[in-house]
Amino acid sequence: MKKIGRFLSSMPFAIGLLVLLAAICAVSSTITQGLSYEAYAAQYGERTAGLIMALRLDDAFHSWWFIGLSAVLCINLLCCNLIRLPSLLRRSRAFADPQRWAASGAGEAEAYGSEPGRLFKTLGMPEAKETETPKGQKALFAVRHRAGLWGAWVCHLGILLLILGFALGQMTGLQFTLYALPGQTKSLGDTGLQVTVNDFRAELREDGSAEQFTADLTVSDPTAGTTENGTVSVNAPTTLYGYKFFQNSYGWGADIRITKDGEPLQTEALCAGDFLPVKDKPELVIYFQAFYPDYIMVEGSGPSTQSMLPRNPAYLYQVYYQKQLLGMNVLQGDEKLTIDEYTVTFENPRNYTLLAVKRDHFTWLVLIGGVIMLLGLVLAFYLRPAAVCAVQEKDGNWHVYAQSVKGGVLFRETFEKAAGETGFVMKNEGDSSLRSE
Amino acid sequence: MLQAENVLFTIVLIGYFAATILNFAFVILKKEKIAKAALILQTAILVLHTAVLVLRGIGAKRWPMTNQYEFAVSFAWALSLVSLIFIRKYKFPVLGAFATPLILLMIGYASMQSREVREMMPSLRSSWLAFHVSTAIIAYGAFGVAFILSLIFLFRGRMKEDGFWDQHIPQPEKLDMISYRSVSLGMLFLTLTILTGAIWAEQAWGSYWNWDPKETWSLVTWIIYAIYLHLRLRRGWKGKTAAWFAVIGFVCVIFTYIGVNTFLPGIHSYA
Ligand code: HEM
Repeated sequence: MKKIGRFLSSMPFAIGLLVLLAAICAVSSTITQGLSYEAYAAQYGERTAGLIMALRLDDAFHSWWFIGLSAVLCINLLCCNLIRLPSLLRRSRAFADPQRWAASGAGEAEAYGSEPGRLFKTLGMPEAKETETPKGQKALFAVRHRAGLWGAWVCHLGILLLILGFALGQMTGLQFTLYALPGQTKSLGDTGLQVTVNDFRAELREDGSAEQFTADLTVSDPTAGTTENGTVSVNAPTTLYGYKFFQNSYGWGADIRITKDGEPLQTEALCAGDFLPVKDKPELVIYFQAFYPDYIMVEGSGPSTQSMLPRNPAYLYQVYYQKQLLGMNVLQGDEKLTIDEYTVTFENPRNYTLLAVKRDHFTWLVLIGGVIMLLGLVLAFYLRPAAVCAVQEKDGNWHVYAQSVKGGVLFRETFEKAAGETGFVMKNEGDSSLRSE
Repeated sequence: MLQAENVLFTIVLIGYFAATILNFAFVILKKEKIAKAALILQTAILVLHTAVLVLRGIGAKRWPMTNQYEFAVSFAWALSLVSLIFIRKYKFPVLGAFATPLILLMIGYASMQSREVREMMPSLRSSWLAFHVSTAIIAYGAFGVAFILSLIFLFRGRMKEDGFWDQHIPQPEKLDMISYRSVSLGMLFLTLTILTGAIWAEQAWGSYWNWDPKETWSLVTWIIYAIYLHLRLRRGWKGKTAAWFAVIGFVCVIFTYIGVNTFLPGIHSYA
């Protein structure tokens, strides 16, 4: 039992998990996510489609097994960090303990000479402390970048916080998309809030491409009788009633005017993609399928638009009666559609805004986790701990020995160079069995 | 401005070609002087290379790293910069012999891309974009150097005993250490890339992580290098096994950069 526990919190197991996760991510990225069985069957054939659905590869990153594997990785990481904490504390303390180094008498690089102060300085070590060996010899000791010992631990902690924040955000967060023409008011999901788009401006460049989109919003809470106002544009979200509003995209809408026997019956603002039941005959439904600001009919592929500027507006509609399609067509400019006694006109085309609305109380945790992870990486990679000790021999010369963590051969070279520059003589390559780690 | 950039670009392309030839000559003729010449040439070309990017930025009035052409030029620039730093710091001219062909390939790829300056969609106009792509090219440059070092590491064992190679290629332990240093640099900057990308996505689309293919592949790359770092800590896997992961990691880098746009769908398709 204990053995299994140890294996589950071990590094080989962690490496296996990481390989598995990388493989899963790579495979899943080649499959378009979120399609239906039929769509996969059309693309890959029925057998593969069945496999995709059975393995939940259609939504791999939210499948129980992906979440499960991530959870196992987190537990592994947490255990590893908890188990290592006491030994790391001990090691960190021991690393800065002059007595221990003075007593050890050896390091991965060693040299003999007369001016230890100069060697310490050339190595870039901080001010050396005086101490004594157990035999009563005079000794100097300096340690640097001890914080580097904590790099991996801090990095792992950051990853844990980040994943925790991500998971909590996914579990408790809310996300909506909402689209509305200027002047329209829509309810925000089931939150009870009402969102009014007061104005929406699409700034276009001369070539018709988009420069910036800006929406003025009023959000109201009818039960409390309060309102809050804000402006959002791309890359500049705003927060209202604790929900963050993002200018995400835009589309086209228009006013639909219906007359019956020449008398005005109904006028409504409709976004492309919306349905409008006729007021006194709800079985009759107008579907505003698409809008083409600069209409062109392309042979073979159907209606299209040449630019985003409303130079030649055209409306694609469908008409349904009792859910049966009666007909579809394109209306250009002020062409009218006549169905028995009803006449339908599309006019005043304008942009609607598509907003993403989000509430995630844990984004800060993800951010903090990310920053801690980054800090851990800097500690692990760029604060390489080293300790240097000098002990005075009977002849008055000094025996200097040094130990680095992760400096390896590069540290030994640096030491050798500094020793050469300061009149020290290297002792033959330190006995490798003395190198702790 | 863009005309001057075009002329300079051609000079840079020819310059890296010449540096590659010089480096090959160094390896074949085994004359150290040629390596020195190649190093000086590469340094001079890097200055012009920097000028290409500056002119592009001024000409397009924005950070010059937003389409395939600009990113390829920047990628080659980072490869050149990081390799020069490593060649000089670790006195390792053979690294240049392997690095210049890779830089030449990347610049060659850039020369095949459209150089048209297009206006950016609004979501791309964010100062986070500049951080995001700048950190990405440093990471990619560092991983490119680690890739070369790992290849040298893997092939070193198979090379015949030869005074020239023994003298010019560090011992395996040191080679592994230098490779580790470049992966460290890459890992730090890849982490920064992913974090700044997430902050930017949060501002633009309201969601910091969407599992779109480019994001997913940057995560795959990140995990591969994390595996490398852990393999190095274990005696049995240190060295060869780890070196293979540094090679696989760079394949992932290239796939994230070029393959994802070509083969997989997603919102990152513009860059
Ligand atoms: C995505 C996940 C992970 C990342 C990014 C990561 C990152 C790192 C980094 C950057 C280091 C320092 C390496 C060096 O200094 O060269 C490290 C060391 C280490 N990691 Fe991880 N790690 C991850 C997962 C894990 C897991 C799940 C375990 C569980 C056992 C683990 C165990 C260790 C150990 C034991 C060390 C050595 C610590 C030391 O030398 O002080 N890591 N990790």
